[in-house]
Amino acid sequence: MEKLTVDPNGTITIPPEIIEKRGLRPGDELALVESAEGFLVYQGGLDDSTLEWWSRLGDKERQLATTEARRYESLTEKERDAIWNERADSIEGEAESDEIELPTK
Amino acid sequence: MTRSSFQPSSILFDKGVIRRVYERRVRLALGEPPTLLQVEAANSYARIGAITDRLYITEQTSNVLKLRTEIFAAPILADTRTLRKARYLRRWARRLKEFGFSPEDAIVLAYGSFGVDVDSKMVGVDAIITTDIRLADHYQQRYAEIESRFRNIVRNLPEDYAGLALPQVVTTPAVLQLL
Repeated sequence: MEKLTVDPNGTITIPPEIIEKRGLRPGDELALVESAEGFLVYQGGLDDSTLEWWSRLGDKERQLATTEARRYESLTEKERDAIWNERADSIEGEAESDEIELPTK
Repeated sequence: MTRSSFQPSSILFDKGVIRRVYERRVRLALGEPPTLLQVEAANSYARIGAITDRLYITEQTSNVLKLRTEIFAAPILADTRTLRKARYLRRWARRLKEFGFSPEDAIVLAYGSFGVDVDSKMVGVDAIITTDIRLADHYQQRYAEIESRFRNIVRNLPEDYAGLALPQVVTTPAVLQLL
């Protein structure tokens, strides 16, 4: 991890070794992301697909999404883990009945 | 691994990645900043989606998504295809467990070689993307032994299985460095 210092003009300087390692050139764009843990700096921009998804939603869909998001965020981490672990696959031999033969091309 | 050695044409996202992509959208809907894991997962998902449309998830991940809120889950289900389990997938998963992987991780790794895209008839993927750094490190450390075991197993399977291969396992932060 590198420490960056903000100067009086609000500018931060990236250490030269990082510039070289990452192949940065003058004019390259970096994305500054405000995350739950603090700021993240990303080379190559942000995931436009998430933002595009949001921008395509109409007002009613956004309201629905917000309501559902509140419900999801109100769950504990343990409850979310349980959701994502539902119907976990068994590794045992007796579960093999859902395995299929390789398709012939 | 270098940028030039990471040119996957088929990808399996593990459940952790899909969960964080889903949760990234949940946080956006709330106007809340995402977590680091969510940002890395969503950015990796987007960058990989830009280089290949052969994006896969496991049947379990697909089943979980189908039970989740459609507004968040449907776009992910639309982006991805679900791999089915070919015969011997679990047998290989049990061998992988002997290398110290959890049953859940072993199943995902086994999908990487024995997962079938029924529509295209393709088997296995070039790379599995995971948020689990320990899984990727452990796989890398034991790779030579795993590969040797894999070759032995495949050699004893019907000829149709002769072309199967092991996938690469790449973490979401690594994807962002490689792509």
